Amino acid sequence: MPRSLWTGSLSFGLVNVPVQLVSAVRDLDLHFHQLHEKDDTPIETRRVCSKEGKEVPYEEIGNEYDGVVVTDEELSAADPAKTRTIDIESFVKLDEIDPIYFDHPYYLIPAGETDGTIRAYKLLAGVMEQSERAALGRFVLRTKEYLVAIRVREGALMLSTLRFHDEVRDIDGLPGAGGRTKPKEVKEALKLIDALSTDWKPEDYDDCYRKRLQSIVRAKRQGGEIKVPETDPERTQPVPDLMAALEASLASARSG
Amino acid sequence: MAARSLWNGTLTFGLVNVPVKVFSATESKSIHFHQVHLSDEARIEHRRICPKEDKEVDKDEIVMGYELSDGGYVELSKDEIAAAGGENAKLIDVEHFVPGEAIDPIFYDKTYYLGAGDDGEDAFRLLRKALDESGKVAIGRWVFHDRERLVAVRPYQGVLAMGVLNFHDEVVEADELDLPSPQKNPTKRELEMAGKLVKSLEAKFEPHKYKDSYRDAVLAVIERKQKGEEIEAPEPEEREEPDDLAAALEASLA
Repeated sequence: MPRSLWTGSLSFGLVNVPVQLVSAVRDLDLHFHQLHEKDDTPIETRRVCSKEGKEVPYEEIGNEYDGVVVTDEELSAADPAKTRTIDIESFVKLDEIDPIYFDHPYYLIPAGETDGTIRAYKLLAGVMEQSERAALGRFVLRTKEYLVAIRVREGALMLSTLRFHDEVRDIDGLPGAGGRTKPKEVKEALKLIDALSTDWKPEDYDDCYRKRLQSIVRAKRQGGEIKVPETDPERTQPVPDLMAALEASLASARSG
Repeated sequence: MAARSLWNGTLTFGLVNVPVKVFSATESKSIHFHQVHLSDEARIEHRRICPKEDKEVDKDEIVMGYELSDGGYVELSKDEIAAAGGENAKLIDVEHFVPGEAIDPIFYDKTYYLGAGDDGEDAFRLLRKALDESGKVAIGRWVFHDRERLVAVRPYQGVLAMGVLNFHDEVVEADELDLPSPQKNPTKRELEMAGKLVKSLEAKFEPHKYKDSYRDAVLAVIERKQKGEEIEAPEPEEREEPDDLAAALEASLA
């Protein structure tokens, strides 16, 4: 069971559902320690005062912005009053939320074993499943306030933190925007897309990097030499003739 | 936007190579503070120290160590770690095209924009146009910052958006949560009332309506501090759980 990151209540009208927040993704990456090469000692990072050159304990550290210094305690005055509640403000269609807004996915699970809590949770999950809508609300995690979308996935309430509108950059000035295409090439590209189309089956994609890194660690442990593979230069060159490349791709996709 | 690319490389599908540049699509607007020593307001530096020698260590004296169960380490250089990128480290290697709406939002992580790379405008426009007409998204792999990411590339306004996806084994499935079942399921009447409550709160998603009020609150604290005001932390509010679900629903609808 994933670790609880937050406990509070999800409030829907006057119905409060006590909930816990757990992450919906787990970290499977290989982690490394920084070592001092000479003596294999793990490196420590210390907070040092640049003026005194001495280590500074955490409680003597303040936060400076624009020449003004505030302590952590003073900063907590900015914390929203409702840090233990997620108020549902509205229900929207999930597909109206562009994936660009999605930040991190979590689950909300009932907090506590009382039947009242579990029934209220089930009621909310049940009614949201029927309505096929996502609930929008606000919530505070570690002093930051987030806009969140709550929806049902296989009977469980999921909460996704969303980016605020002004955190999404506009596309002005990006190279390649607009411009013409040749209908013949588009037609051929559509055929190629069709030939390479499948259903979305997430289990078909494993993290190959993680696997390769595991075997590199194993090889190194046994004293092997690690070679950095080269990218095939043919795959990084712009193709001189798009139509010819499309036709050749299509022939190869259809034969194999 | 004087955009600076984060990564330059090639997106390949079939035998078609599309030179692309990757740009940030999102930016944090949170207030970023510098850490300072309260007594002299001097900046805090984060120094790398070897605890054995109690001395600061230069960057080039550091290697990466993978910890073994016996407490020992396997040492790897940055290049050796980079070798895990494999032969496609300079590519966004498209494997398939899938219907975009089939991807559950649980898979979505950060989004980037793709723009055309040098000499790549024609190929870029072709890909954008063909994706747009097909209604599909391109699923590929992209090595960035010592990780391989599964990505979904789709048309977005005049360019392409590249959403980073979580791998399937990174996603926690609902059945791993062991959700408890209530002794008595919600009644039909309760579901009906809750349904009415949902209906009464139905709205369109209008992202521009939501502002980060925490950012404003932090700026207000900084301003008060600048004026020399005393700042006290507020008490958090607590809420009680109602014991009568039906009554709470009725009161909400009233």
